[in-house]
Amino acid sequence: MDRSRLYGWFLLSLTLAGAQAVTPAHHLSLADVARLQNLLSQPFTDLESAYHSVIGLTKLGAAVPDHDQVCQFIKSQLDPTSVDSIFFAAETSQAISGCEIPVSNETRDILLAAVSEDSSMTQIHRAVSALSSLGLPVVSKEVIGALTARINKEDNVMAITSALLTAARLPQQAEFGGILEEIEDLTARLDDLGGVYLQFEEGLEATATFVTAAYSLSDHVDMEPPLKEDQVIQLVNSIFSKKSWDSLAEASSVASAAAALSSNRFHVPVIVSAQGPATVSHSQPTLQLLVTDVMSQPLASANVLVESAYAVASKSIILSQAPFTLNDGVFELNFMSTQPASGYYQFTIAVAGDSRLVANHIELKVKVSTEVAISNMDLSVVDKDQSIGTKTTRVDFPSKAKIPFTADSHQNFAMSFQLVDVNTGVELTPHQTFVRLHNQKTGQEVVFVAEPDSKNLYKFELDTMERKSEFDSISGTYSLYLIVGDATLENPILWHMADVILKFLDEEAPATIQPKTLYVPKPEIQHLFREPEKKPPTVVSNTFTALILSPFLLLLILWFKLGANISNFSFSPSTILFHVGHAALLGLMYVYWTHLNMFQTLKYLAIIGSITFLAGNRMLAQKAVKRNEKK
Amino acid sequence: MSNSVISVISRFLEEYTSTTPNKLKVVDAYLLYILLTGALQFLYCLLVGTFPFNSFLSGFISCVGAFILAVCLRIQINPQNKGEFLSISPERAFADFLFAHIVLHLVVINFIG
Repeated sequence: MDRSRLYGWFLLSLTLAGAQAVTPAHHLSLADVARLQNLLSQPFTDLESAYHSVIGLTKLGAAVPDHDQVCQFIKSQLDPTSVDSIFFAAETSQAISGCEIPVSNETRDILLAAVSEDSSMTQIHRAVSALSSLGLPVVSKEVIGALTARINKEDNVMAITSALLTAARLPQQAEFGGILEEIEDLTARLDDLGGVYLQFEEGLEATATFVTAAYSLSDHVDMEPPLKEDQVIQLVNSIFSKKSWDSLAEASSVASAAAALSSNRFHVPVIVSAQGPATVSHSQPTLQLLVTDVMSQPLASANVLVESAYAVASKSIILSQAPFTLNDGVFELNFMSTQPASGYYQFTIAVAGDSRLVANHIELKVKVSTEVAISNMDLSVVDKDQSIGTKTTRVDFPSKAKIPFTADSHQNFAMSFQLVDVNTGVELTPHQTFVRLHNQKTGQEVVFVAEPDSKNLYKFELDTMERKSEFDSISGTYSLYLIVGDATLENPILWHMADVILKFLDEEAPATIQPKTLYVPKPEIQHLFREPEKKPPTVVSNTFTALILSPFLLLLILWFKLGANISNFSFSPSTILFHVGHAALLGLMYVYWTHLNMFQTLKYLAIIGSITFLAGNRMLAQKAVKRNEKK
Repeated sequence: MSNSVISVISRFLEEYTSTTPNKLKVVDAYLLYILLTGALQFLYCLLVGTFPFNSFLSGFISCVGAFILAVCLRIQINPQNKGEFLSISPERAFADFLFAHIVLHLVVINFIG
């Protein structure tokens, strides 16, 4: 019992999370449509560009200029032996009225021959479309067979999309089963970017053509395409985020997608936007909304209503189920009639009237702004020990107090006022309420914040002794300003209320205010390279080298005197080998010092050393034998 | 006092020249040579400073190491010490001396820079 309840809560939270659905971030505004039309209206260079231009303009609902000239152009450029050429000519002539392409038996044969497993998918698509546009008969079974076989061989996105477009040109009784499943397969291949965009990695043209193909086939067989609402909106975001198009093919694919999403039988995304800023005030009491499809065409049959509106600050509900009225293509609601307090309001708007509408619940933040008035502004100089009565002066906005106030170290300067809404008389607490004192001579300014108390009465007190450090103890005449500002106020206030003469003790000589020099070049750092160590002069080291070699001479002399000789040298091979090896070892040491590293040396050492060792072993053994014999 | 020192020294020298076999005298001459070389290196370092310290160290250690190895050789081939080195023949001592020298020189050359 507990588990099913938990499960219920889980499902509820999931649906609530799902209610935070994707909203359309991009669509084709009227300017975008105009730009697209401009691009598509370029003069034709060849048959393919004529095809893209004419089809694109037709999809946007724009008129193709000068049908006769277009027809002449097509007929002159037509190559009756090429399937592509026939396709472009046939489709273009179908889009403009009163243009007939001559069809011969050869043309028909060429087109029918292209419908086979061995042609590429593009060829099959173009042949079938041309046959359909020219009114020639098509055998559905053959076409579907060829398409299914080609899908297995050409598994890429553009090929399968072409297959879907081809199937949409066949008569309705054909068996579309396998082809329809491809829509779902292709949907699975789309890349989700951040939950906002859904597109093919092949690019914009592939995504836009897929949308056109999916909806045209779905409309043709009258079966809803397996695309969820969120996916449709993500596709809308992807296709209409690019506002300048690289090629005619890309432009016409976007135009086709826009037409498909505006007028198919199943999903029509709704774009709701406020006309101008979403702000209402007493001077402008109506909230105006534009409700259109993705091509910025107004939805005539829509019913727009506010499901609920609540104040962001207090979370209290202001409106519930309030309808908008349609006025000259714009939906209006007089929000000020409910007399809302100034601030921000969160609206949930629903668009109804057509079961095909997608993304028809949106959230909109509306600002209600107002004007502020200052009342009961009282300025006074209060004595600290309160022995002398306070002198209060009332100043009215926007005039200035006639007599300047004087405050020295025994006195405080005080101010109190109220801020009220002009229209409703409600007390306001705007974000910015500052008191600014500006020294007329030195240009120094000090800003304080005025705070409201619990009754929304603003009070400010300046203690000259306490605050003297902020003023740098500079006495003089200060201009007193009040600054009031807020996002919801239409009339921010800067009011020069009075002049205040402040007298400080221990006055320092007024220093001129220097702007902080933060961004001047810093002193250059000189890099000190590492000094080489001090070496002794070469003479000294050469002398000592000679000195050190001198004991060797002494050794030779001593040995000579002792009678050491090599008379016992036996010329046996092991002896010679030993001495040669030993000399080689010493040579290796020298080479190690000059050229080699440890690893190479160890390698050579192993080789020479082992030879020397074996030879030496032999030699010394012989010597030992000789010595024992002598005994 | 100095008289007795001089007489001790002269007696020592006399005994040395008469009793030590020639072989040992050869090794002693070698020892003297190594000692002088090491002392001169040290003197140089004292005079001009230890700038290429690694070179000084390797040279000095080479002298010290060679001295020690030669002393070992002298001990091992002295016939008077035969009783203590029964398993080590003079040839074996000399072979050890050579092997140890190879290792010493390898390290010295590595460190001399």
